[in-house]
Amino acid sequence: MLSLRNKDVRWAFIWLVTTAIIAVWDILFLNKPALKLVVAGFFNTFIIAFLVIFVTLLMGWMATLGLHYLQEGKHKTGYLLLNFFFNLIRSVPQVIGILLGYVAVGMCIQQGLVHSGFAIFALLSFCMGLFIFLEMADCMWERIDHYQKLDFYNAMRVCGVSQSRIINFNILWKNSRIHIFNKLISVMGIAVFLQCSVDFIISVGLSTQANQVTLPTTLGNLLANLDSKQDILAVGNTLTHPLYFPHLFFEHLQGLTVAFLIVFSLLCIHNIANGYAERHRL
Amino acid sequence: MKSKLLVHGASILFVSLTLLIALAWIGSRSGVTEASVRSTLAAASFADLSNPFQKALFSDAMNIFYPGQFDKNKAEVSHLADAQEKALRDKLENSSEKEGLTLGAWTRILGMYIKFIIVYVLVMLLTYYGVQTLGAWRFCRKKSHDEQGAGSFPTMVLKSLKKAALFIATFILFCPAYVIAYSLRTELNTDTVFFMIVLCVISNGLLMVYSNKFFAFLTAESRKGYVETALAKNLKSSYSQRTPDGISYRALIAPIKRFNGHVFDAIFRNARGQYLSTIKEQASFLISGMIITEMALNLHGYLSYELFRQMLYGNAAIVIVMILGIYYLVKATEIFTDFLVYREERKYEN
Repeated sequence: MLSLRNKDVRWAFIWLVTTAIIAVWDILFLNKPALKLVVAGFFNTFIIAFLVIFVTLLMGWMATLGLHYLQEGKHKTGYLLLNFFFNLIRSVPQVIGILLGYVAVGMCIQQGLVHSGFAIFALLSFCMGLFIFLEMADCMWERIDHYQKLDFYNAMRVCGVSQSRIINFNILWKNSRIHIFNKLISVMGIAVFLQCSVDFIISVGLSTQANQVTLPTTLGNLLANLDSKQDILAVGNTLTHPLYFPHLFFEHLQGLTVAFLIVFSLLCIHNIANGYAERHRL
Repeated sequence: MKSKLLVHGASILFVSLTLLIALAWIGSRSGVTEASVRSTLAAASFADLSNPFQKALFSDAMNIFYPGQFDKNKAEVSHLADAQEKALRDKLENSSEKEGLTLGAWTRILGMYIKFIIVYVLVMLLTYYGVQTLGAWRFCRKKSHDEQGAGSFPTMVLKSLKKAALFIATFILFCPAYVIAYSLRTELNTDTVFFMIVLCVISNGLLMVYSNKFFAFLTAESRKGYVETALAKNLKSSYSQRTPDGISYRALIAPIKRFNGHVFDAIFRNARGQYLSTIKEQASFLISGMIITEMALNLHGYLSYELFRQMLYGNAAIVIVMILGIYYLVKATEIFTDFLVYREERKYEN
């Protein structure tokens, strides 16, 4: 049963309530154009993060099955090559990989190869998913490996149950979906963090192909706006001028809202994933 | 270990060869491009079309050579004039940006790379210590809370205050580097290596994520059967910081942690063995964090900042060399981690 006693449910509730309170405060005190930008940035960020979850799940599942069947089918060369390719991806720092992907997407947009908003979202999600999916593949691979060592796997094989049903239904769906779901929550946190960070780097102006004009508004590039930067600088000013503190909530709302939404979302997602793992004793 | 080294070696060889081929291809291509630009400019180099007199003379010559197409000739001349002007403008604009792999560039990259490695090693050591200290402290705190029970009203108030302080600390540890950097920019000089190291350690959630993993390893280990055996052998088992048979703060914050005679000693050592294998992914995450931090602090003359600057200027050869350097660093960490895990495994196998 879902109850607020559970850490994950409690933190999901805290996240929703806090976001709602911030939304009401912003409606009351933030100017309309900035409010529109913040709303667009918030929804775009989370739409892309959800798409990343979907891409990661799909790619992770395909990678796991690929490795499994290559190993079972005694295709040693194929197995080694696929493993080799995955290790190569692992050795590329995620930010660099994703940034190069963003540059490629930016070029596609500039050359008119991609037009619609959804296609851009899907491409950005694919770029991120490509450098995150191995975490999901590792999780699924560990589960399959664990169950393969148990008697039930061989028993089912002897009973004539097909390998694909054992792997997909009995192991991954029936016995590992909690682990996979927990991993997906963590993936969401990683997606939000990486997206905001790459958008920030782009905003510093170090990529002409991918820039704030070609890419959709997200919390990351909103934070990098000059207005938001000034708002964040005001936080530092408050450290030495404490009386300025109340002004933050009325005059520096855009930057403060965006920064708070990023950090608070990351914190809540982390706690939700932890709480979920604790509840299911993973 | 040999098979792992073989895989790492093959990977390094493959990436090095691929990138070096790309480097050679870029080198040959830039030669071709320069030659083609020179030949295009040479076609009309006898006339300076920015000069009105020479432009009119060139138009007249065109009309004599190609009579009966006045409009077309006029368009051709203005097109040539535009091309000449653009070539000159591009040359002026890119004169300070376009750069090849000269000896000067190699020296500069090497200097930045060494600085990058030093910061990386320092941050890695600090996070290695921080992750274990935070994880162990959290574990002992949880265990000692279980031992203590609810307590009186003042104790509960104190606990609530501690919780609030802990929440603020956790919130800061989850802040991306750019949020902290911009918050403090007006009050502190943030453009220093020291600040960069501090920021790399405390920001981007690095410490939180991995200390949480370490805590999970400790929790999993504490549920294993050998803990019961150790308790039966009468090893110390209190996690309170105030009792003599408990775990002192001094032991928790020590760089080399030993809990002699305490059941936590075995739990900690076994959890550390598992944590060692996660250092590989931590290294990749750490480099991502360093890149973000260098960008947040606008640290000119540092590897990551320079990497993206060269990317902007389209100096592909320099970008490839820098990416190769970062790749070698990640690989070196992976090999070192595999060696540590191998050594740890051998300790218990023999």
